[in-house]
Amino acid sequence: MEERKIIKYDALVIGAGIAGGEAAINLANTGYKVLLVEKDHSLGGKMILLSKVFPTLDCAACITTPKVSEIARHKNITVFTESEVTHIAKKSDNDFVAQISKKPRYVRVEGCTACQLCEKACPVSVRDEYQFGLIGRKAAFIPFSIANPKAAVIDIENCTLCGACEKACPTHCIDFTMETEYYELHAKTVILATGFNLFDPLEIPRFGYGQYKNVITSMQMEREIAPTRPYNTILRPGDGKVPDRIAYVLCTGSRDNTVGNPICSQICCMYSMKQAQLLMGALPMADITIYYINIRSFGKGFEEFYQQAKGMGVNFVKGKIGKITEKENGNLILRYEDIAEGVVKEAEHDMVVLSVGVKSNPSAGKIFDGNSLKLDPLQFIAQKDLLGSPAKTSIDGVFVAGTASGPMDIPDSILSAGSASSEAISYLTRYQSV
Amino acid sequence: MKERLGVYICHCGGNISDYVDVEKVRAAIEHEKGVVLAKTTMFACSDTNQTDMVQDIHEHNLDGVIVASCSPKLHLTTFRNVTERGDLNKYTYVHANIREQASWAHSDDKLGATEKAIRLVKAAIAKSRYADPLFPNQFEAEKNIAVIGGGIAGMKAALSLAEKKSNVILIEKENRLGGHTAEWGSLFMTDEKGFELTARIENDLRKYNNVTILTGAEVIDTKGSIGNFELKIRRRPQNDGDPMEIVELHVGSIVVATGYDHYLPKQGEYGFGTSETIITLPEFKQQVDKATGKSLEFKGKKINNIAYIYCVGSRQNEGENTYCSRFCCTSAIHTAIEVKKKFKGMQNIHLTRGIRTYGKQELLYAESLQMGDLYLQFDENNLPEIRSEGKKTVVTVKDILSARKEMEMEVDLVVLVTGMVPRPDQSIGTMLKLPKGRDRFFNEIHMKLRPVETVIDGVTIAGTCQGPKNISESVNSALSAATKSFSYISKGTLETEPIIAEIDQDACSWCDKCSNACPFDAIDQIEMGGRTVASVNPMVCKGCGMCAPVCPVDAINLIGYTSEEMMSMIDALA
Amino acid sequence: MSDSFKKNAKILVFSTEKISDPAIDMAGLLKLHYPPTVYTITVPCSSGIKPSWIIHAYEKGFDGVFIAADGTDCIFGESCTEKTGNIVAITHEKMKEKEIDPARLRMAALCSVCSEAFVKQMRSFNDYLIKTIHSNNN
Repeated sequence: MEERKIIKYDALVIGAGIAGGEAAINLANTGYKVLLVEKDHSLGGKMILLSKVFPTLDCAACITTPKVSEIARHKNITVFTESEVTHIAKKSDNDFVAQISKKPRYVRVEGCTACQLCEKACPVSVRDEYQFGLIGRKAAFIPFSIANPKAAVIDIENCTLCGACEKACPTHCIDFTMETEYYELHAKTVILATGFNLFDPLEIPRFGYGQYKNVITSMQMEREIAPTRPYNTILRPGDGKVPDRIAYVLCTGSRDNTVGNPICSQICCMYSMKQAQLLMGALPMADITIYYINIRSFGKGFEEFYQQAKGMGVNFVKGKIGKITEKENGNLILRYEDIAEGVVKEAEHDMVVLSVGVKSNPSAGKIFDGNSLKLDPLQFIAQKDLLGSPAKTSIDGVFVAGTASGPMDIPDSILSAGSASSEAISYLTRYQSV
Repeated sequence: MKERLGVYICHCGGNISDYVDVEKVRAAIEHEKGVVLAKTTMFACSDTNQTDMVQDIHEHNLDGVIVASCSPKLHLTTFRNVTERGDLNKYTYVHANIREQASWAHSDDKLGATEKAIRLVKAAIAKSRYADPLFPNQFEAEKNIAVIGGGIAGMKAALSLAEKKSNVILIEKENRLGGHTAEWGSLFMTDEKGFELTARIENDLRKYNNVTILTGAEVIDTKGSIGNFELKIRRRPQNDGDPMEIVELHVGSIVVATGYDHYLPKQGEYGFGTSETIITLPEFKQQVDKATGKSLEFKGKKINNIAYIYCVGSRQNEGENTYCSRFCCTSAIHTAIEVKKKFKGMQNIHLTRGIRTYGKQELLYAESLQMGDLYLQFDENNLPEIRSEGKKTVVTVKDILSARKEMEMEVDLVVLVTGMVPRPDQSIGTMLKLPKGRDRFFNEIHMKLRPVETVIDGVTIAGTCQGPKNISESVNSALSAATKSFSYISKGTLETEPIIAEIDQDACSWCDKCSNACPFDAIDQIEMGGRTVASVNPMVCKGCGMCAPVCPVDAINLIGYTSEEMMSMIDALA
Repeated sequence: MSDSFKKNAKILVFSTEKISDPAIDMAGLLKLHYPPTVYTITVPCSSGIKPSWIIHAYEKGFDGVFIAADGTDCIFGESCTEKTGNIVAITHEKMKEKEIDPARLRMAALCSVCSEAFVKQMRSFNDYLIKTIHSNNN
């Protein structure tokens, strides 16, 4: 049995995406000590990797980074990155005991200045997961340019232990002797902000993702148009050509019982229209077609955004895609049912973006004893009192924030996080006087 | 005036020094007036350099620090904190951006970049000479919180504040709590009754003795700002014959939860008002809820075929409600399912503009399809038409799902699926100066990341007064607003930024130009030595500086951006 | 003095902390080049710029002044657009009095990611100023 350091905080927040971060800030601003645990190398979750956000077209990085640095700097928040909560036991009403393992980064964050000399020195190239495989990265790398903490990481799985990075580092902060640290945390309340997983389009072979290079996911397109984009221009991965007929396939992996996901993902209509508008700005000559079942622009300013996209000339086709095939030149043929005309048609595009949906991240269910944390049939965290107290879970004192309970967009995630932190503060207040 | 300045010029590991000759910059500024220390450093932000800076401040007795490195957006706070660790006031720190705005922007012209960097550092030194220590304005805050509106959002906000041991005053215009939610029967997603949901929340609320519930009460005047708002409330008499009661309250922050109204179709809109078999969704839901028999009857007539027309008062092509009302698709479908479960021989025909059962609500749509409900779709240019032929009601629609074929159907009842509209009386918004959006709902400060805060410090917006929402979304919004309102004042003292406008009251002869220019009402006229002059309320001023250029006698300066500082920077750059 | 300093016009830019300065930073990040004789002073809001500062800049030798206004994005409210416009109008009057070509003051709204627009503005303003300075010299 490894030695475990015993630590104490008022609240444990699991997941440092935008929901977990918001919940942590609310608790911290009220004076509570928060431990924020994140499995990845950076704060900011998926939002920090986005291009711009709908319907304001604010740059996602510009609005996320100040929030993220507020979290990182807050005197009442301690952040553990590359860490995992492996088990939580509820000992009494305000005593949750959590086991946490903090994996080594092999870089002392305090010493690292993000000078990137280790990246230049490292001879190993692998797929860059933060650019969703569009380009490669080194085994010694800074996750992405606006990552927080902005410090290098050694990807030990792929590292050859050649020592080149260690020699190159001007501040001598690379340390291969670092080991996993184990903690036992005592907290009085827990917020689960474990987020969602993106649908994997390999589950729908007829769309050809993974087989046809010019079929990409919406998250890959998100990176192509982000300010910290990999190519500095928009191009199709097959041959580097600038695309001029781009198709969006909405409801990829959503509202689809054949892949076990009957629900709507809530965000894909809007992010696809956003990408379409950004693409029209970047590639004024390009034709963009969105194939949809229903356009769901239901939020504040969303319907107006939809009308704006139509006004800009985005082509909306009400049609379900049957199959995608590839031509020799890399172009793609989409076979679809045109619902307005009731006929099956074919259309040629030079790039296809699959608007992938939101799937649950069921990992939180396994942390608690037995089945004490209830999940819904789609493996989202179940909401005990959806209408009266949406943040309450099946365990008193454990609350859910953001997409861990179901698909939602950024403002709804923020509201849900506000709700979870409000419940947590009330819970802490209730047991303070006892 | 500062006399002992320390200047640090950062290499940024080559990001700066590859294009800007940092040694040349150092040499160019080391003899500037007041500079006693000028250094270059590999990484100014590194822990080692930060420690060195703290040591330098003490050893060289520095009274001001300048770092020339990356954008202040990245490290201004870092170095302000370093300055504080060196026991200097953090506002004496000045930053020069020689990476984003010199080395990177002019990586094609090393000499040009270096000359620009020299001038930028000189300008920072010039500013630094004037950078006085500043202290945040601190004041006591009222710990009471007012919640305006006693619907589901207001009740939940009040309850959550009560749980946090705040003193809460819940102000409701009607004589009862519960708002529109209390008028609903079965609710979608849980099938709980609306009035049962509000009753259980009200029950919880009444358990707390730190909650004051004022029903029949309306806010008629507001004054003050965050920490110290004064509300004047007019309350209907509790006993007949008593006079109107006026209540004055002092609160630290305010949650506005004034809700929405149902859209009321215009006379003749889809035949509304011309036939009693054309009703709105809220009316229909009440009928369904009240009916006890095995069949649905309305005005003495048995109902079998129902047409639901969607987007009435929402997504208007012509009309001011261009927005989607968000809850109505799901609410209509849920009601239609309930109708089929409750009564025999029912047929539901939905005339929609594309169903928007987002998220898990999609499961209700799937259920309704499985139950055999019929869905037709029209577009905004071809609205369905309704005519009465004797006792019959006939609906015609061009269905875009079947190649725009014109369909005609005879139905027993037409349900107009009406959306949400903002309250016509928004006097509370006017009093508090809350901005409204194009949709006429109250506007938040930032749509994405700050959805419940407003530009008025200390005032949050909860529930549907901000825009259409379903119940669960309204509750999330209410709890978020309550948390923000709570954290504003939970410490009992408030701090505001010291960067505010400053008026030279000797020069001022009150002309009201500045107070008209101020978007925050932070400037008042006061009497001083027998003269009327302008005075800035430091609790309200946000430091935009809009008042400064309009002063005809140039008596206003923004602290940190005074004419002296700006002109000395211009001198250094020229 | 470097060549670029001799051949380019000297431009003072007033940017705003939250909106246009981030765009100017991003122009640097993206290595979108503009003349190094462009200097930026940052203020909280473009409607807080005093006409006297602008006149002072011309007197000290700046060829042009550019206001990177907040426009409708201003965090202090929508009145910013109108107020910044007024400042420009008043300054233009003062410039006429002092026989300074009013075209040496330019204003454009720049959003927080309008880096390319900023660089285009700087290049065209620089071109204009070089032309007029040269014609004056001739």
